[in-house]
Amino acid sequence: MARKALLISPELCIGCRGCQTACKAWNQLPATKTANKGSAENPPDLTPNLYNKIRYVEMPSETNTVRWLFVSQRCMHCDDAGCIKICPAPGALFKTKEGATAFNKDNCIGCKLCVAACPFNVPRYDEKEKISKCNLCSDRIADGLAPACAKTCPTGAIRYGDRDEIIGKTQKAGYQKLYGQMDLGGLGVLYAFKDSPKIYGMDEHPQIPETVVFWHKVLKPLAYLGLGGAVAASLLHYIAIGPKKDEEVK
Amino acid sequence: MGNQMIKKANAFEILNHWLLAGSFLILTLSGFGFLFHLQQVVAIFGSANTMKIWHNYAGIVFSISLFLTIFNYLPVSLKFGSDDMGWIMKAGGYFAKKAAIPPQDVINAGQKLYYLFILFAGIAIAASGFFIWLRPQVDDIRKWILLSHLVHNIAFDLFMIAVPLHIYLGTLANPGTFRIMVYGTVPLEWAKKRHAKWVQKMGY
Repeated sequence: MARKALLISPELCIGCRGCQTACKAWNQLPATKTANKGSAENPPDLTPNLYNKIRYVEMPSETNTVRWLFVSQRCMHCDDAGCIKICPAPGALFKTKEGATAFNKDNCIGCKLCVAACPFNVPRYDEKEKISKCNLCSDRIADGLAPACAKTCPTGAIRYGDRDEIIGKTQKAGYQKLYGQMDLGGLGVLYAFKDSPKIYGMDEHPQIPETVVFWHKVLKPLAYLGLGGAVAASLLHYIAIGPKKDEEVK
Repeated sequence: MGNQMIKKANAFEILNHWLLAGSFLILTLSGFGFLFHLQQVVAIFGSANTMKIWHNYAGIVFSISLFLTIFNYLPVSLKFGSDDMGWIMKAGGYFAKKAAIPPQDVINAGQKLYYLFILFAGIAIAASGFFIWLRPQVDDIRKWILLSHLVHNIAFDLFMIAVPLHIYLGTLANPGTFRIMVYGTVPLEWAKKRHAKWVQKMGY
């Protein structure tokens, strides 16, 4: 199956936050009471009950003194996902055939290692200490439907489709390279930025923490190699040199 | 005279070593289960959640047991003299027949180094493990968790190399050694050859 993706176009977003509401409706997530902190950005951060949110960035430019950027923020559904890499629980985090990074709370052991390994600081934990994050509405997309956020977006700021098709279309529309096109094996959420990603509050070069990569590539195989090597060396010594017999010890 | 036995380890030391070894085995087995998503290992524990509970609580037993070893082995391990250097220079006689080894304490130079390593790596793996488990409230928690994860796994790899060698040296490689972990006693003649300094100190 072709890999699916979301295309986020911040310039089309009017900040209505219908995506946040639709997400909660579909995923049966309760509302959270928040306090007004002087920004229309609400809630201020992702929570176990908030899988996606609109980040409000006030970024005046020389030509536009009132420039507001609305950036949809959520799990990026990395192809090479740090959370899946570090997760010690079989079947807690996994890729669906559409390319979504989905989770199964029953298998989650609540260790929170994924929180540290995520390049985007996305995973949250619910009150039962189980992972909670955007799963690209994997139940909807498995049935050929668009995720709730994309379905409800009135302006086309969040669009859903085949990843390759999205990249092809945006290239024709003049976008040389989308944010997330190449990073981490290619993200499942692509951004059509008109300016530097930094201005939109995004990491220019997101990557899995180096320690996690080192652990995965070196330390993990070394656990087997070390054990096997030590056992093999012992056997070899036993055969080649042999045990210390009492009469031989001086 | 030839059959005289002397006591090398008391009941506390024997029991504590079994606690350390037992908890270590549970930790290693579940650790491999987590590291490589081994379904057969998960099946032994029942579920990944149960395996985590075993891993965490075996970690407590391991840590307490490791702490208690200090009373048995740390003082003597820190006494490292010329006879110990002599042992090291000859690699304990493990690579030559009839090598003349300087007289050794109640544990030999190799055992001293091994103990210091276990204490060091054990503290590292326990501290990092508790940090991951308990997630203390600190700034930049994600960085600290990643560091703990790294330390935990480096220490684990070192254990995977060191412990099989320790088990080999304590059983097959040195006939007559394993009984210390069961009875705590060894033949006097056996001890004279391997731990001369200690035997002398004991007044034999």
